[in-house]
Amino acid sequence: MTSRRDFFKFAGIAGGAVAASAVSRVSMAALPEPVIQSSPNTMAPLMPNSGRPYNPVVTLNGWTLPWRMNQGVKEFHLVAEPVVREMAPGMKAHLWGYNGQSPGPTIEVVEGDRVRIFVTNKLPEHTSIHWHGQRLPNGMDGVTGLTQPAIPSGKTFVYEFVARRPGTFMYHPHADEMVQMAMGMMGFWVTHPKAKHPLIDEAQRDFCFLLSAYDIEPGAATPKVAEMTDFNLWTWNSRVFPGIDSLNVRLNDKVRIRMGNLTMTNHPMHLHGHEFVVTGTDGGPTPKSARWPEVTTDVAVGQMRQIEFVADEEGDWAFHCHKSHHTMNAMGHDVPTMIGVDHSGLAKKVNKLIPDYMVMGERGMSDMSEMEMPIPDNTIPMMTGQGPFGSVEMGGMFSVLKVRKEQKPGDYKDPGWFKHPAGTVAHEYTGPMAEPARFSAEGGQSMPRVRKPATPTEVKVRKPTSHGEH
Amino acid sequence: MMRLRATHAKWALSALGLAVLTGCASVSLDQNINRVNVEAGSFTEGKLALARTQEESDQRAQAAQALLAQPLGQKETVQLALVNSPSLQALLAQGWAESADAAQVGRIANPIFSFERMTAGTELDLGRALSFGLLDLLTLPTRYGVATRRIEQSQLRLTGNVVDQVTGVRQAWVRAVAAQQEFQYAKQVYDSAEAGAELARRMQGVGNFNRITRAREQAFYADAATRLSTAQHQVTASREELVRLLGLDESQAQALKLPERLPDLPKQALDPQAVGSLATKARLDIRLAQAALDGAAKAQGLNMVTSFTDIELTGRRNTTFDNAEGTRSTARGWEVAVRLPIFDWGGMQRDAMNARTLAAANQLEATARAAGSSLRESYSAYRTAYDVARHYRDEVVPVRKVIAEENQLRYNGMLISAFELLADARDQVGAVTAALNAQQQFWLADAALQASVIGRPTNTSLSVTSSAPSGGDAGH
Ligand SMILES: [Cu+2]
Repeated sequence: MTSRRDFFKFAGIAGGAVAASAVSRVSMAALPEPVIQSSPNTMAPLMPNSGRPYNPVVTLNGWTLPWRMNQGVKEFHLVAEPVVREMAPGMKAHLWGYNGQSPGPTIEVVEGDRVRIFVTNKLPEHTSIHWHGQRLPNGMDGVTGLTQPAIPSGKTFVYEFVARRPGTFMYHPHADEMVQMAMGMMGFWVTHPKAKHPLIDEAQRDFCFLLSAYDIEPGAATPKVAEMTDFNLWTWNSRVFPGIDSLNVRLNDKVRIRMGNLTMTNHPMHLHGHEFVVTGTDGGPTPKSARWPEVTTDVAVGQMRQIEFVADEEGDWAFHCHKSHHTMNAMGHDVPTMIGVDHSGLAKKVNKLIPDYMVMGERGMSDMSEMEMPIPDNTIPMMTGQGPFGSVEMGGMFSVLKVRKEQKPGDYKDPGWFKHPAGTVAHEYTGPMAEPARFSAEGGQSMPRVRKPATPTEVKVRKPTSHGEH
Repeated sequence: MMRLRATHAKWALSALGLAVLTGCASVSLDQNINRVNVEAGSFTEGKLALARTQEESDQRAQAAQALLAQPLGQKETVQLALVNSPSLQALLAQGWAESADAAQVGRIANPIFSFERMTAGTELDLGRALSFGLLDLLTLPTRYGVATRRIEQSQLRLTGNVVDQVTGVRQAWVRAVAAQQEFQYAKQVYDSAEAGAELARRMQGVGNFNRITRAREQAFYADAATRLSTAQHQVTASREELVRLLGLDESQAQALKLPERLPDLPKQALDPQAVGSLATKARLDIRLAQAALDGAAKAQGLNMVTSFTDIELTGRRNTTFDNAEGTRSTARGWEVAVRLPIFDWGGMQRDAMNARTLAAANQLEATARAAGSSLRESYSAYRTAYDVARHYRDEVVPVRKVIAEENQLRYNGMLISAFELLADARDQVGAVTAALNAQQQFWLADAALQASVIGRPTNTSLSVTSSAPSGGDAGH
């Protein structure tokens, strides 16, 4: 058998992947050696060199699990275990995941493959894996209690089924789900088409990531598993901006992005500079007649979306969830608005008791990204990330699509910041200011209020310039 | 009184004269003060003196002025009391008076000289008599003993009173310094509350707060103002108590400066063995009770005699002039007068004496038994106060500091608001105030223990301190 050698070869390809030696050799003797990933970086695509050929995906800040062929069956080994996941440089989370990372490795197979997956449970409690969206025998569906007994701690179970339809899928536990998903247990699954498919186009770049949310107190490392709505870390593949790698493509590449949502709310995913179409859902490829161009698509809870577009505009294009608080890292949700509040004379008084107190928020929250003050350990500032023109003032579900003419085919390296052609960057206007014609049609109210407010609210706008007469 | 006459009393008179001149009890002021200084010198760490002349008064005033030039530590405050306090001076004077009174018992009464002049017809009778209380004289050695013990008692009492005064001064100093410190903290709380209230007012002004939110922030400010006033009064009250104990006049009171903070806790608390061994040496209370018993016992022996009878010895010389005959004759003799114990055989007096001795004996027993107990209590108060104060210093305050630092970081990260930061800062001040209170308790207990060791047990009740949050609305 050559699969074992192949396996180590793949391990080498997968960057920091190492074979786990802690697992009992005796019980594992017949199993594919589990591969553990120690790096949170985006790994190069895993080119298949056994089984049917396909065009591999790139998992953002993730990797694909190597397999071995065993008498025509693709064998994978997932180890459910506690992991330490770097969510962004400067913050490490204590999560549960698979094979050293959360989310677990992406499993890539080809339509029609017979797949055998060994699942070893190294968690302190039982678990199971549900293969979200797959057609499979009922007993392989992974629902604890309903279709199988739970996998107890320390035990290995095996799942086996044929990947019947091509598409974008996920895997996640179906045992103590609230806790295990809040702790980061999930992974991506891509079934590539066996042959040319009328609804599935060839793509030069194929990215995938899972949306997940965590509630980790600033300064802590373990998520609060009982949280239902008030999450403070909105992630792609358990990473937050500025920890999410950019999507680097070549000009005019056909780009496919696959997204699955395992948070408890929807995410309107928005791409700048291009229109895309939704070419697939959990149900499979969408009919061509059902596709329309969009720049934002909502990924509802528990759903998968597969979008495609031709990257025909050079530049650094923002790609993010359009819920603005999902592009923030940990922030106070009960902090009163300080905008426009005159702080003069107060800071000094407060300094007597709190020497390090500084006025913040008087102008808005940008103070936060400008001041660079110390914050709790193991915490990322709520808006951060240095771009070529200053702070990007973002966090959470945010990344950049980098379209470059000179990007080599198959090269996923970060090309650096875009060099704008002269005269194509917004800049300060220094010419004359003409007084524009103003809209003055002041209509009366059709139904005036019976009671007028006692005192009209006075709006005082504090302006940054001295144009007080406006 | 019955009089017996005798002709030869010369020998008796000369013997009396000798006795009178030799063994009389006496006591001087210097002796008294020396005694206090010897007994309590290590306690007061200074010397007492009573000013009797203008010069001495001036010296004392100068010493006081020199002390008042600097902020007064606890030790210097005691020195100031020693040189300046009129009430201590009064105590000394009173103690002197008491000792002098006591010494009086050991003195012999002055002899009575009587002179009679009687005429009957042509006869002129001149009678001269010099009489002594014979028993007075005979009991002189005993009475001398009684007097000595009474002097001893009065001196010990004086020392005790001085110790009480000094303890009072020490504790008043602790309270006055602590009150100042608490006032400083109250001011910081007030400032932060004021800043919070002002910020809330401005927040409402630009429409970021509604009335109720602003009012909530303001409530604490209102409360802080009350606390600040109370703290301010406490500064005045405790300072004035100290001024009274030191007996400062108006200008001295104005010159009085106190250190900004209480001394740090000693590195180590005294251990019970050391305290015990210090105490057994010479407790004032036990010695006072012992002296009272000795005095009572001596007096008892004496009164067995004096209550029974009173003998008066009189020497007489009568000269009779007969003008008709032109002759004169002189008669000499002596006379002894004895009070007849007919109505009062002295039983009551003896009973009283017996009872007094018995009482004194039991008092001594009680004092001796209580001594160990009160010392243990004082030590427990001292030790508890020390441990609590150290706990505040090493645990409570550092923990609050960590919370404050972490809150600052949270504020920096816009994870909490300025109001939460302020609320926490106020809680932190609460903990610091409690820590200060614990420190104050320690120094009060320390003064009480010193007094207890020398044998003047003082009240050692500790008040409970709590670092519970100040009750400011800790943000939302
Ligand atoms: Cu979102």
